[in-house]
Amino acid sequence: MDFEPSDTQRALLDALGTLLSRHAGTQRSRQLAVRGAYDHELESELRAAGFLDLFGDSGAGPLEATLAVERIGAELGAITPVPHLLVLPALGLPVPEGPVVLADHERSGPVRYGREARQILTAGTDRCAAAELSPDEAEPVPSAYGHPLARVVPRRAEELAPGTAGTMVRWWRVGVSAEALGMMQRAFDLTVAYTKDRTVFGRALGSLQALQHRLAELSVLLEGARWLTYEAAFRGATAESSAVAAAHTMAALHRLTRETHQITGAVGLTREHDLHLWTLRLQALRAELGGLRAHRRAVVTSRWGVAAA
Amino acid sequence: MDFGFTPEEEAFRGEVLAFLADYQGMNGYFHRGESTGEGVRRVYRALGERGWLSLSWPKEFGGSGLSPAYEFILWDEMAYARVARPPMGPGLVAKALMAHGTAEQCERLLPGLRLGEVNFALGYSEPDAGSDLAAVRTRATLVHDTYEINGAKCWTSNAHWADAIWLLCRTGPQDSRSRGLSVLIVPLDRPGVSISPIPTHDGGRLNEVRFDGVRVPVENRVGAENDGWQVVASALAVERHVQFPPKRLRRDLQDLVTWVEKSGLSRDPVVRRRLTGLAVQVAEVEALALALLDEIISGQPSAVPAAYHKLAGTLLAQEIARSAMEFGSDEALIKDSDVEFMWRQAILETVGGGTSEVMRGLIARQAFGLESKG
Repeated sequence: MDFEPSDTQRALLDALGTLLSRHAGTQRSRQLAVRGAYDHELESELRAAGFLDLFGDSGAGPLEATLAVERIGAELGAITPVPHLLVLPALGLPVPEGPVVLADHERSGPVRYGREARQILTAGTDRCAAAELSPDEAEPVPSAYGHPLARVVPRRAEELAPGTAGTMVRWWRVGVSAEALGMMQRAFDLTVAYTKDRTVFGRALGSLQALQHRLAELSVLLEGARWLTYEAAFRGATAESSAVAAAHTMAALHRLTRETHQITGAVGLTREHDLHLWTLRLQALRAELGGLRAHRRAVVTSRWGVAAA
Repeated sequence: MDFGFTPEEEAFRGEVLAFLADYQGMNGYFHRGESTGEGVRRVYRALGERGWLSLSWPKEFGGSGLSPAYEFILWDEMAYARVARPPMGPGLVAKALMAHGTAEQCERLLPGLRLGEVNFALGYSEPDAGSDLAAVRTRATLVHDTYEINGAKCWTSNAHWADAIWLLCRTGPQDSRSRGLSVLIVPLDRPGVSISPIPTHDGGRLNEVRFDGVRVPVENRVGAENDGWQVVASALAVERHVQFPPKRLRRDLQDLVTWVEKSGLSRDPVVRRRLTGLAVQVAEVEALALALLDEIISGQPSAVPAAYHKLAGTLLAQEIARSAMEFGSDEALIKDSDVEFMWRQAILETVGGGTSEVMRGLIARQAFGLESKG
């Protein structure tokens, strides 16, 4: 057992960090959000540097790809890292240019980057279906959560092999957890820094014990989310490990959002402060795959082999 | 012990509901949409015409001399209908004037407040004085009979359409904390006042209000110089029963239930269990609101029941709002749908009007006599 990143992982994350510092981050995120645009440039840089091939790479693998998804989330990369780095490679499908939509057959609501996407993967009960999307047929809906949303109409759906739906959903769970983890960590770091800088009643906000305890509890939730997500990726996204990671992370996400906004107070509720860049985007992740309710059901089903009513 | 309202009070509720029939769908409670400032002004004027902005004012000040229960009923029903929140002017400002103002100030200002013609913003918070209000730096210097004001207020609601600001400012030495503050009434059209928007997550607007050599006559000071802390505290004490009307939560829950039914989630036992839990919590907050109202009616209100109520009520608003998101419907993400808006709005509630942390500290100190160290 070794929870420390290997030299290869470290080097990989350093390189990714450098790339993201040039092609992602808060400023770029604000510019793209105004237009509701997908970041083709970032995707192309990641592709050129080989980050979209990590999953099947002999020197890396699914865990490294998961770590990369986390970092892309942390730096607010306006792409769809979960299908690109995890789900498509796990299914052995080519990774196209531009956004890819993930959906499940029980829901038909608006999806992230639906207006620009050319491809949608839908998880059925057993098989996964790959279909085409046409931007002309997408119906954008207003979004308050950073990611542009649209309703889409899949065309020319092609059923994939039996069992593919399970693979897709499990890696999707790992991916959405990794994305959330990266974003939660940044929102948390920003809040801790704020408590050190902000003075109230003649002392640093962070010197108040009641707040110290709350920050400490948040960090425990974050640590849990981190290791459960990494472990799920390490174990190849088994049904139980991926469901547990998502169930824990999505529950933590709620508390982290509430607490970071509460502790940063009025300034954190404004558009000029950066906190919302992470916390609002995080909310869009909460609804994916049926949300916390569905993740918890998946835990029950995988652990005890019973389908929840 | 008696938990009911009187037949007269219930009859008044009927009048309020009849009045509200003309204002359905207005949404001024949350200031949604661009023009709600003007819409809310219109509602206040209509209430003023009926004498409903001065229900509990003593008769000698032109009020109806009724129990605070009438005000509670009015603003509770206004909250359920989402039409408007209670205005600061005829509430907090008027009641402070009656307690601390001069006869001249009452004569000059109360009629406009009673009629809903004059609207006030509250100028308390500053960039470096939020929960720690005694750190206020905006300075007013008295030269002969005129105050000159310099500084900035922040997170100020409604300043972009109000007529005047109820300004807490420093008149004593910089380190005098709560002992060196005064309250001034400053018309917002004075030279040197500049107002700029601070956009918030709910799509609404708070304001930064800057004062650059703004001059007001000494007659605009309420209470004695350096006595502002007492003026502000006592003004707040008599308004707490209308600040966070519990029916807002009953309406939030109703909107959630309606949405759940439409989304086809209502048969899910997990969803039903969650809704049941929320319904019990709504009842809890309503009970706390009535306990608070009873304190106000008694005439000897402490801040503790208000803190219980604000703390429980605003946290519950967030609990209700996040449920839709956790039920996992993508529809909960569509901007400005009712359940989506509720989530973005509710995160502001535990910060504005006294943070949850201030409420918890107040309960610990005043209810249990616990002092914090340092």
